[in-house]
Amino acid sequence: MSLSDALRAEVLLGAVAVVVAVLAPSRRRSVLAGAACTLLGLAGVVAGVLAAGGARGGLRVTPFGAATGYLPSVAPALAPDRLGGVFIALAGAVGAVCALAGIGYAHGAAASRTGWSAFALFLLGMQLVPAAADVVTFALAWELMALASTVLVLAEYARGPGVRSAGVEYAVLTHASFGLVLAGFAVLAGHAGSTSFAALAAARPDDRTAGVAFVLLSAGFATKAGLVPFHVWLPRAHPEAPGHVSAAMSAAMVKMGVYGLLLVTVRLLPGGPTWWGAVLLVVGAASAGYGVLQASVISDVKRLLAYSTTENVGLIVTALAVALLLDGAGSPAVADVALTAALLLAVSHAAVKTVLFLGAGAIVRATGERDLDALGGLEARMPVTAAAFGVACLGAAALPVSSGFVAEWVLLQALIHGPGRAHLVVAIALPVAVAVVALTAGLALLTFVKAYGIAFLARPRSVGAEQARDAGPMMRAGLVVGSLVVLAAGIAPGPLARALAATVDAHGIGTLPGWGLDLPAVQASLDPLALLLLTAASAVPVAVLGVRAARRRPRRDVELAWGCGGVRSAARMQYTATSYAEPLVRVFDDALRPSRDLQVTHADESRDVERRVEFRQRVGDVIADRVYAPAVAALFRASRAARRLQNGSIHTYLGYAFGAVTVILLAVTW
Amino acid sequence: MIPFRLAALIRRTGRVAEPVPAGPSTRGAPAGDPFVPPRELAGSVGVRHVDAGSCNGCEIEIAQVFGPVYDAERYGARLVASPRHADAVLVTGVVTRNMAEPLRRTVDATPRPRVVLAVGDCARDCGVFAGGYGVAGAVDDVVPVDLSVPGCPPEPEAIVSALRRVTGR
Repeated sequence: MSLSDALRAEVLLGAVAVVVAVLAPSRRRSVLAGAACTLLGLAGVVAGVLAAGGARGGLRVTPFGAATGYLPSVAPALAPDRLGGVFIALAGAVGAVCALAGIGYAHGAAASRTGWSAFALFLLGMQLVPAAADVVTFALAWELMALASTVLVLAEYARGPGVRSAGVEYAVLTHASFGLVLAGFAVLAGHAGSTSFAALAAARPDDRTAGVAFVLLSAGFATKAGLVPFHVWLPRAHPEAPGHVSAAMSAAMVKMGVYGLLLVTVRLLPGGPTWWGAVLLVVGAASAGYGVLQASVISDVKRLLAYSTTENVGLIVTALAVALLLDGAGSPAVADVALTAALLLAVSHAAVKTVLFLGAGAIVRATGERDLDALGGLEARMPVTAAAFGVACLGAAALPVSSGFVAEWVLLQALIHGPGRAHLVVAIALPVAVAVVALTAGLALLTFVKAYGIAFLARPRSVGAEQARDAGPMMRAGLVVGSLVVLAAGIAPGPLARALAATVDAHGIGTLPGWGLDLPAVQASLDPLALLLLTAASAVPVAVLGVRAARRRPRRDVELAWGCGGVRSAARMQYTATSYAEPLVRVFDDALRPSRDLQVTHADESRDVERRVEFRQRVGDVIADRVYAPAVAALFRASRAARRLQNGSIHTYLGYAFGAVTVILLAVTW
Repeated sequence: MIPFRLAALIRRTGRVAEPVPAGPSTRGAPAGDPFVPPRELAGSVGVRHVDAGSCNGCEIEIAQVFGPVYDAERYGARLVASPRHADAVLVTGVVTRNMAEPLRRTVDATPRPRVVLAVGDCARDCGVFAGGYGVAGAVDDVVPVDLSVPGCPPEPEAIVSALRRVTGR
């Protein structure tokens, strides 16, 4: 199968999926449309793997056949390069798993004709963005992705006004990012004289043009990727979307922003000045730190995962920035390692976030609760979901045996083995980056211990949690597939890392026998499989001996935990997510600015007797509250003031027209 | 400077603890007592004390038993905080109605092999509180008792010899 055939199959399957979604009867719609979307995703995986392996090929969609006179320059051209292939495969795999889970998950508004056709178009758009060969195709695919996802975010609008305002915020910011990206591409295309990426890459713009284009394009792609300070839409939009949709958005759509940044810095404008890398490093490090800090103090499980996405994308951009800085400072070998780390982080995060969001969707469906403070004891009631979520938490916290560990290990190796004597900026940037990555790793561990422990362990804290039942077979299938990918990439990282490195021409990534990862450029190697076997070889005999020794005495089942003679088993006497994170809220008080409100109602008879005490704590998004809210308020004030120009009087309007004609006549004749 | 002053203080004070009688004492145990201490507890025993409703007279004596004069730790008996860490449960006082269930739970939480000691007249047969409205019974009415120490309150030496019967030291 050639790349062109795979791309053609993708587009056809996309059209088929939309048709199926519209025509299928409502009882069978989820199954048929979900199956079609799964096939679409798998086609994307095939196309992406072929493209990443170096296959050449393309597709030119000519609407209206030979009558191109109607639409001269709108002829979408798809010709993915190796880097694009990686992201097509990523979007395809995530889409396939989410569609599979969606068969079981979608209900109500998400299972409607609009819901499934928008999902099919969303998957298609995500897979076409990295395949675009010129600016116009890129823009068309980007808009398809953005509009379809806006529809999906608004799918459950009937749930409340929060969904509607989240959808509006998402639409506005996504189109602002689109505008910035188009402006940046316009600058480059104006200089190069053509809109195809090959021409843009070949043209060598001067420093000022390149700088302006870089700023516009990075701002646009950073908004899409959810980097600070453009991230405010992420924690509002992702939780409001249906479960399988937020998984696809967080795992794959955000990666399109990352793909854009890679496109700009690696393919279109390689070898940029040092300040580009410095800017990206500041943005990436700030996102990583801020994202994980917010995630660690939030108790709404889907908002927590959304902020964790910001953190991970921040880490990816940090790795990319370090690669750029090191390349400019003359250490291309270590820069290659950093760039491979960025790609590994992207792939790992996609797998991990898919499982986490699907798991969160399963929890919300089963218990009806979104707040961690109302969950608990789900491990016994939802064993498969708990196991998959646990593996994904390992990956998100970058603990061994998971793909997240491998990716962060590679990143830290690149940071630690930077050049000894280098440019001042690089010499400051690398230790700062190490500090940020270390802080992020620690807080991420805390966040996911909280997420898994409070939700799944101990005892249920509400009626909904008590009555939870495990997810349906399709959702379980999606969760299991995702967690197997996380484990596989963590135990056998060598082949994956080498394949990813080859797509960006990074040298110095090798494999050890037994699928381990070897980095000769920094003299480091990682062999998780060997470590796992060694641990098993030493732990299994100890475990067997221990169990055998314990079996010698008859086992006595304990009904009640020791509670000092009483019954200390009320679920209210457990940790909640808020109490677990309270030390962090105290320590990072200045960065989080929580608002606290204490209401005391006194008894009528005396002020010394309290009848009711109510305490409220809210940790909001500092940037949304202190930057965006005042800016939006000022914009509304200005618009209200400008409304006075439109007072409805015909005389005023005639006066405006007269004034305009006078000005034009004066300007023309002067 | 300080170590020398400490050494001088030790020399001045001398030994306060009572001398150890030879061999495990059977004082306080009635003749023909069928109690055989479990083999596994020989040498050292963790003791969890439960006050089931006493007047605190027996508690003061138990405090002396584990103090420097009678020093039961040299015979291997040690007070522990949780019944999960204990080998023996030391119960004082008559069992009041509120403490019957907690006492049962405490003994249930103690891993086997375990020994239950009832210390004081109230624990053995309700003592002066027999027939009170808040009294559920003697300790033997609630949990099976292995060894009891009579007295109101019992002498510290009697409590020590009961503990020595369990540890065998």
